[in-house]
Amino acid sequence: MLFSSIEFLYYFLPIVIALYFIVPARGKNLVLLVMSLVFYGWGEPRFLLLMAVQVLSGWVFGLLIEKYRGTAASRAMLIAALAVGLGGLGYFKYADFFVSNVNGLFGAAIPLPRVALPIGISFYTFQILSYDIDLYRGKTELQRSLLNFAAYVTLFPQLIAGPIVRYADVARELSGREHSVKKFAEGARRFVVGLGKKVLIANVLGELADVCRTSTEKSVLLAWLYIIAYAFHIYFDFSGYSDMAVGLGKIFGFEFLENFDYPYISKSITEFWRRWHKSLSSWFRDYVYIPLGGNRVKPTRHVFNILVVWFLTGFWHGAGWNFIAWGGYFAALLLIEKFVLGKVLERLPAFASHIYLAVLVLFGWALFDAPSIPEALRRIGMMFGSGASSLYGASSLYYLRSYAIPLALAIVGSTPLITRLARALEKRAERIITVLEPLAVAALLVVITAYLVDGSFNPFIYFRF
Amino acid sequence: MGKKLRHILTLSVFVAALGGFFILNRAVRTPDTLEAERRQPAAFPRLTAQTLLSGDFMRGFEDFAADSFAFRDGFRSIRAFTVLEVFRQSDKSGLYRDALVGAGKLAPVAESEVRRTAGKLATLAAALGEMNVYVSVIPDKSAYAGREYPGFDIEMSRRILEEALPDARYIDITAALDAGSYYKTDLHWDQSTLEAAVTALGDEMGFLDSASDGASMFERHTAGEFYGVYKGQLALPMPPDTMIYLTSAITENAVTRYLDDKTLEWTAGEIYDLEAFAGRDPYDIFLRGAQALITMENPEAETARELYLFRDSFSSSLAPLLLPHYAKITLIDLRYVDFRVLPSLIELSPNADALFLYSSQILGAPDILKIG
Repeated sequence: MLFSSIEFLYYFLPIVIALYFIVPARGKNLVLLVMSLVFYGWGEPRFLLLMAVQVLSGWVFGLLIEKYRGTAASRAMLIAALAVGLGGLGYFKYADFFVSNVNGLFGAAIPLPRVALPIGISFYTFQILSYDIDLYRGKTELQRSLLNFAAYVTLFPQLIAGPIVRYADVARELSGREHSVKKFAEGARRFVVGLGKKVLIANVLGELADVCRTSTEKSVLLAWLYIIAYAFHIYFDFSGYSDMAVGLGKIFGFEFLENFDYPYISKSITEFWRRWHKSLSSWFRDYVYIPLGGNRVKPTRHVFNILVVWFLTGFWHGAGWNFIAWGGYFAALLLIEKFVLGKVLERLPAFASHIYLAVLVLFGWALFDAPSIPEALRRIGMMFGSGASSLYGASSLYYLRSYAIPLALAIVGSTPLITRLARALEKRAERIITVLEPLAVAALLVVITAYLVDGSFNPFIYFRF
Repeated sequence: MGKKLRHILTLSVFVAALGGFFILNRAVRTPDTLEAERRQPAAFPRLTAQTLLSGDFMRGFEDFAADSFAFRDGFRSIRAFTVLEVFRQSDKSGLYRDALVGAGKLAPVAESEVRRTAGKLATLAAALGEMNVYVSVIPDKSAYAGREYPGFDIEMSRRILEEALPDARYIDITAALDAGSYYKTDLHWDQSTLEAAVTALGDEMGFLDSASDGASMFERHTAGEFYGVYKGQLALPMPPDTMIYLTSAITENAVTRYLDDKTLEWTAGEIYDLEAFAGRDPYDIFLRGAQALITMENPEAETARELYLFRDSFSSSLAPLLLPHYAKITLIDLRYVDFRVLPSLIELSPNADALFLYSSQILGAPDILKIG
């Protein structure tokens, strides 16, 4: 089920909220678990069993890690937990990729297993692993309740599109959490803002990217229009989903960590990755990079560690060489910034740094979105005239005019400007905000509902994650 | 106090909206037909273990939830207003509102698709043997819009059709049409404006001499005001179109027969089905709308010429205007009948005229034509 759907907004969510606040505190996790299973089963009924197996194994291995703490068996249990979690992820996400590459490399003809990818498997696998690893490291306590553990893993606000909520971050809230009018209202506002970002900006610019991608016009302007639209589409889609997750979490008493921090205002790739999909970056940092030695090793080993992390980051996003290349591309840029450009970038004027960041990130999105590396290179080439038949054409001019306001909104919305204005207004004109906020929430809900009822373009971009 | 009040108000708005529509969607009865969209709403899906496991129930419920949403038409209008007036986008999912041609739909057509259609038409032309084959394209109304919309390149289609059909004569009717030739709320052209198009066709096909006073012999009748298909899709207020149809002694006395494509029986009928005006698509008054095969015979014809009109819905309103110039016109819609079964349904006269007259939408959808 998508957050940006009528069935979620006007059927599922009212029922969950009503049930959740009717039942006493001890029943709230059960309500969340049952309704999360309904939420997941709505789109993927056949994968409920797989998720149940992964949840159960993560929890049982947790019990065993704790039982054998201080012995080699505890480590063996952690390795087993990793094997089951990553094994499931590897099979369901990467089996076809591996077989097709083996076939290509050795001229074999092994039939493709044609395994369907369960939605959200990358997110919930990493959440389960975070629990078992942190438990082994002594950084979190054992969760004896299977109900609470299952409620954590399956928690519908962050189940299919993140952020990756670590068990340690919500362990206390799973046992008991505070609910208040303030938290509910803040959560509702955040959810509606996130939904607005998804439906009114991400989907609209996704439609533009789609039109440009399939257009028969081969012009430089169309190539730029496509990649800029795609860059804003993916940002507003992903950060919108994270806002909705954080908002829904608040409504139900949880405090999830922020996942995005205006990444497009960054002045370097290093800064960009501190602001983009923070929950994934910090997961790889804490569970891969630092265990490998991080930066406290010889330079060659340090480079190796960075390459491993970015290979995994790319591969996590999808089973395809373009995703691996995308990870490798950012690894290369980060290494260049770390060892060569660091000082230079600091001295650059702000506008030059922003342009540097924007162009490199756009190239990255071309790699990310393309079905293959040659196609990505073709698209990047077109941005500079290679393969283009003109600078612009009737279609590109039409779509540039048509999407000028959504693009302008996206540019402004990807900076902290609106948040700062809202905060300033809150300080100086509290009475206005008192009326304005609920009105804005109501107006946004009306317009969002109108878009959903009318069946506008509404893609789910995380099906490959 | 201010913050607390704000939180209470925000929470109230959110809960009232979600809860309110949860109740309203159950309380407000879904209409039997979504009039504006000319379709029936999705029904509540069957709930069984099989439909649950296969996901069919969920997919069906998603359609049902959207179609049965309270005040659906109002919400669709809000979206259209937001897209076209607030965001100032030029179109809403391809639908635009133009000062000259009214509501329209972007109709980009890929050259490769036109080539495929042309290939199919070449096969058709070859099968027609000695007939005099003519080909023409009905431009989409966007060609006459007040601003440039990405769409159909009629010159490209002409070039491709002339290459693929070297023995056919291409007839350009673009200059015979203008923005006023089309209904403002529909994709079709207005029969009462087609005199110049008939002349353009007649000039090339050589039929104008065979009828003494051409299109001027027709009498205008008003069926009434109506909204075309784009009005409902666009979901914004627009003035209605007026449906005018043309009759003459020839159309009154014509013998028109329709093939029932289920029973394969021919039934006699009128050229204008005025009862259809009150139906789902008022344009169906012209030759009963979608029909696989129709024959129109002109008992008063001063010629023995026959015409095979390979066509789409546009020709339903054009064909009555061609009737004075032919003894018999056979309208063949290859979307509904396969060319290979035609010989079993009609006898093709070897020396007749054949006109391939298709709109840009059909040229861009080669798979829709059942030719071999």
